[in-house]
Amino acid sequence: MKNTLLIPSHYKVIGWIISILSGCLGLATLYLDFKIPGFSFPFKNSSLFADYNLTNEFALAGLIIGVMMISFAKEKMEDEYLTMVRLKCWQWSVLISFGVLFILNFVFYGTDFFAFLIHNMFTLPIVFIAKFNYSLFLLRRERENDEK
Amino acid sequence: MKNNLRVQRAILNITQAELAEKIQVSRQTINTIESGKYVPSTVLALKMAKVFAVPVDEIFSLEEGD
Repeated sequence: MKNTLLIPSHYKVIGWIISILSGCLGLATLYLDFKIPGFSFPFKNSSLFADYNLTNEFALAGLIIGVMMISFAKEKMEDEYLTMVRLKCWQWSVLISFGVLFILNFVFYGTDFFAFLIHNMFTLPIVFIAKFNYSLFLLRRERENDEK
Repeated sequence: MKNNLRVQRAILNITQAELAEKIQVSRQTINTIESGKYVPSTVLALKMAKVFAVPVDEIFSLEEGD
């Protein structure tokens, strides 16, 4: 049973680098209103874009590509058991991410709600990455205990 | 589902790592199968049977509740 959606394992390192860099850039644009000067869309009269600077779009795109690379990179020894662990972790992260959304729905209103939605966009892959790596850690520890 | 993978390994005198290498899975996978936490696919079960040169149902057997 081959998991054909996965990409080679070295993409994990690249993914982490891209995510961290664009994550920092994203936080800087969100909280410090940081903009890369001159990095903007050529047509200023377009009403499609609220602000013409592309820094935030660039940061979000980088973060999406980065976390997807981490999530879909193969482990060194990828097999059917790991495929199952992966799917279980995705199930958990979907549950948690929608759980958070469910709670947000009742707790925040208006612009606060949208502010939290921006953060909740990445709950799904972040919970997956955390849960998957924790599962791998538990497996490794269990195996080491078994070998003793 | 029960299995006697540990016994079969002892008969052939191979480690979890050696078995894992023969059937192209990780050692963790062999470990989880042995401890009964994971039920392998039919493909994997057949591969194991081939290594031990026994029928599949000599390694794996149903238990109550399955």
